Amino acid sequence: MKRLLYILLVLGIGNFNVVQAQLDSIQKLDEVILSDVKLKRYASGFKVTVLKDFVLTKSPWSLTDLLRYNSNIYFKENGYGMVSSPSFRGTNASQTAVVWNGININSQLNGQVDFNTINTSNYEAVEIRSGGGSVQYGSGAIGGSVHLSNTLSFMKHTDHTVRMSYGSFDTKRANYGLSTGSNNWSVNAGIAYVDSENDYKYLGTDKTNKNGQYDNLSFNLNAGYLLNDHHVLKLYHQSFLGDRNFSGTLLAPSKSKYEDTNYRSMLEWGYFHKQYTSKVKVVHLLEEFKYFENKDAEHFSFGRVQSFIGNHNLNIKLTETIDLRTIIEFAKYSGNGDDFANPNRNAFSATALWRHQVSEPLIYGLSIRKDFTSDFTSPMVFSVDGEYRFSESYALKLNGSKNFRVPTFNDLYWNPGGNLDLLPESSYQVDLGQEFSSKFIALKLNAYYITTKDMIQWVPDNTGLFRPQNINKVTSYGGELELFLKHTIGNHHFNMNSGYSYTVSENDANAKQLIYVPLHKANLNFGYSFKAMEVFYQHLFNGEVNIIGGQLDGYDVGNLGLSYNYTISKNVHSILQFTINNLYNTTYENVALRPMPNRNYQLQLTLKF
Amino acid sequence: MKIKNNLVLALSLLVLSFSCSSDDDNHQQEPQGAYEDGMLITNEGNFGQGNGSVTYVSDDFSYTEQKVFFNVNGTLLGDTAQSIGFYDDLAYIVVNNSQKIEVVNRYTFQSVATIDSGLSNPRYITFLSGKGYVTNWGDGSNPEDDFVAVINLETNTVSSTIPVEEGPERIVTNGTSIYVAHQGGYGQNNIISVIKPNSDEVETITVGDVPNSMVFDNQGSLYVLSGGIPAWTENETGGQLDVINTSSNTVSATFGFDDNEHPSNLTYGESLYYTLNGGVYKLAVGSEELPTTPEIEVVNFNYMAIHNNVLYGVDAGDYTSNGTLQSFDLETNALKHSKEVGIIPSGIYFND
Repeated sequence: MKRLLYILLVLGIGNFNVVQAQLDSIQKLDEVILSDVKLKRYASGFKVTVLKDFVLTKSPWSLTDLLRYNSNIYFKENGYGMVSSPSFRGTNASQTAVVWNGININSQLNGQVDFNTINTSNYEAVEIRSGGGSVQYGSGAIGGSVHLSNTLSFMKHTDHTVRMSYGSFDTKRANYGLSTGSNNWSVNAGIAYVDSENDYKYLGTDKTNKNGQYDNLSFNLNAGYLLNDHHVLKLYHQSFLGDRNFSGTLLAPSKSKYEDTNYRSMLEWGYFHKQYTSKVKVVHLLEEFKYFENKDAEHFSFGRVQSFIGNHNLNIKLTETIDLRTIIEFAKYSGNGDDFANPNRNAFSATALWRHQVSEPLIYGLSIRKDFTSDFTSPMVFSVDGEYRFSESYALKLNGSKNFRVPTFNDLYWNPGGNLDLLPESSYQVDLGQEFSSKFIALKLNAYYITTKDMIQWVPDNTGLFRPQNINKVTSYGGELELFLKHTIGNHHFNMNSGYSYTVSENDANAKQLIYVPLHKANLNFGYSFKAMEVFYQHLFNGEVNIIGGQLDGYDVGNLGLSYNYTISKNVHSILQFTINNLYNTTYENVALRPMPNRNYQLQLTLKF
Repeated sequence: MKIKNNLVLALSLLVLSFSCSSDDDNHQQEPQGAYEDGMLITNEGNFGQGNGSVTYVSDDFSYTEQKVFFNVNGTLLGDTAQSIGFYDDLAYIVVNNSQKIEVVNRYTFQSVATIDSGLSNPRYITFLSGKGYVTNWGDGSNPEDDFVAVINLETNTVSSTIPVEEGPERIVTNGTSIYVAHQGGYGQNNIISVIKPNSDEVETITVGDVPNSMVFDNQGSLYVLSGGIPAWTENETGGQLDVINTSSNTVSATFGFDDNEHPSNLTYGESLYYTLNGGVYKLAVGSEELPTTPEIEVVNFNYMAIHNNVLYGVDAGDYTSNGTLQSFDLETNALKHSKEVGIIPSGIYFND
């Protein structure tokens, strides 16, 4: 039965004529296999883009590389492999939430996620939810959120994936993935290791990228056990250990080093009975960094935050068409480090989500959340969204929300400068989307407007000491286009996915475009396959950006790949992939004075059995 | 690019010669370069952003040129332009986070040499007996590796190093000895190191906490202004002014500020001047008491200097857009001129 449901789930996505009974079952199955069901169930009026594993395997494993070429999000990367932060719809690095199996994992220290500390190879899919999501995902989900989810499949299967890659700059990558299960249990595990000398040429100079070496190990373990038809226990775990030297700039040499340690664990107990679904989650997150100004010396500074989160989710199917979900969450954060004492923060939040399918074409959702935090007052936030499906090929989506971002441990407690009088940043936004789809084409068009006040910025006081203040008001607006094409003629398969974004993001005080927000960004992925062969091409156009005291030129970069699928034996498949990155040997800087790699090559072998 | 820079240079030379020739005075002396008779302002720029620069402002404020080093040499100056020292016709520009010193002709700004080996977080430079002396923090996180680098001015290389205590910052000389103020780097220190040429012995003098500026008066006494330990350390101390007898290298007099007063920017021109809480205070040499009312109010100087009875100060503004240079006539304490300079201006050097 469950196996059938699984198949139904896979086949049923996007098919509007599934009968209600099946829908119910699928919903229940979603609850069983996914931890972040909100993303599916309570996001009708939002643009959600899913990047599946065949997209993931074409990028060099880091979340930065994946999203740079496959989404509207713009990245600032301090040289290849170094600290990388997003700007989603013109917002800043701490205004994009990264959500791991339903849990917001943005750093409590600086509010951000370094997208080069997420290895994508242990995830089946990465989802991008555009627009405000603070009601569901808490602090920081202002521009949008990026979701890393692991699914557990409860059917008899055992699959192994081994992937190995070697490329320029002595870059070695290895990954092993296991997925196994039966009717009542499921395990998937993945381990990935990346190591690179990263000593690429600075084009147009006689220099190379010195002190840019990095390696990291990423480990995921997810397991589920169905006790009976009503109870499921699940465990999710992720570890990341990163060791990077921080490369310098064209003008400043560097000898520094940075170590990241992240442990994320979650235990979940789900209970299903008739129209009720209840989930209790207990989560432990640990983030720690060590910064060595001189990698050869013993001195370092460090910071650490541990988070304990308890969460209860109750979904009630009030009628055939109405769902109500309540979430209460308690979190305790405790930090210690060289730059602050031992701060603690307690937070409690209560959330209610309502979803109503008024008629077959019309769905709307209402949601509201209130946080109570020990150090400051958080605003009440809400979200309203709706979708109207005019026909199978055209839908209109609309959402409006209020969102927030809390001050970080650094903002509050950093010594010197930490400011205990800060307020959370608060933001209103509205987003209108249109989606056209047919057999060959899918088109998403969005326009949005975001205004954020009380933006926290570190500014000098009259003694020259930098302190965070709620000073700025920023308005962002723009348009996004995403286009997906698919066509098959005989054995020839063509596919394309591309995006373009136009982003205005201005400080209200001077009406100037913020630094490091390009007005224009476009990305293109084109693939052609014939029998076992596939050719793909990726292109990124990144427009000019403002920097302090000037501008940084825009650039075009292209990557070309060739892959060959070969069935070694009945149960063993292999894919050999060769990629040329920076095909045109473009000289470019993503962040000023930090050149990006010259043309480079990568060979990757994947075995599935 | 090269042509463009030469063009800029030629144009600026033209402008200067034109303004000179139209000036109906008796100066027949050939200008030595475009950047004579004015001030060089070091603009640190933002740490890590590589936007350090030097601005030239003519004595009468009628002509300003931003990014002088880049205009003349076609390459960016570097990351965090800390300070300048003059020796003969040369200017030594200490570029902190680029770990180098750019040596240029002080009047034409043509590059002469780059010293980029043997320095570690260099801060300030002075010259004695034909050698350069540069304070270096070493690793900011390591209190044990601070030193003064000795520069061979013939070869433009670091010839030796003198280990000193934590956080050497300002460095001055009276022609006999070298005095190094240990502000303390990332921490706080309270000493002056005295270095004698041709000797490895380093003598230390204890002064107030966090010595941030030093000047000699015309009698040869050294005045050391200490800012005190800032409040955020939860170990706050007030500022202190120490007068050092340079014959015996001992403190001959001390002026104490209140515990919450953190003065800085001591400078000398007939009298001593310093900044405190947005005001400029004047202390006559030989005074027994610190002044209680400021001469000039509501300024926010990152650095100030006096030249020909005019006080010049730089204000870094919001630290991400261009700062300003202001001048005040010390006869009247009135604002004379104001000019936009570069990002985070922090040094004023008179290029006469």
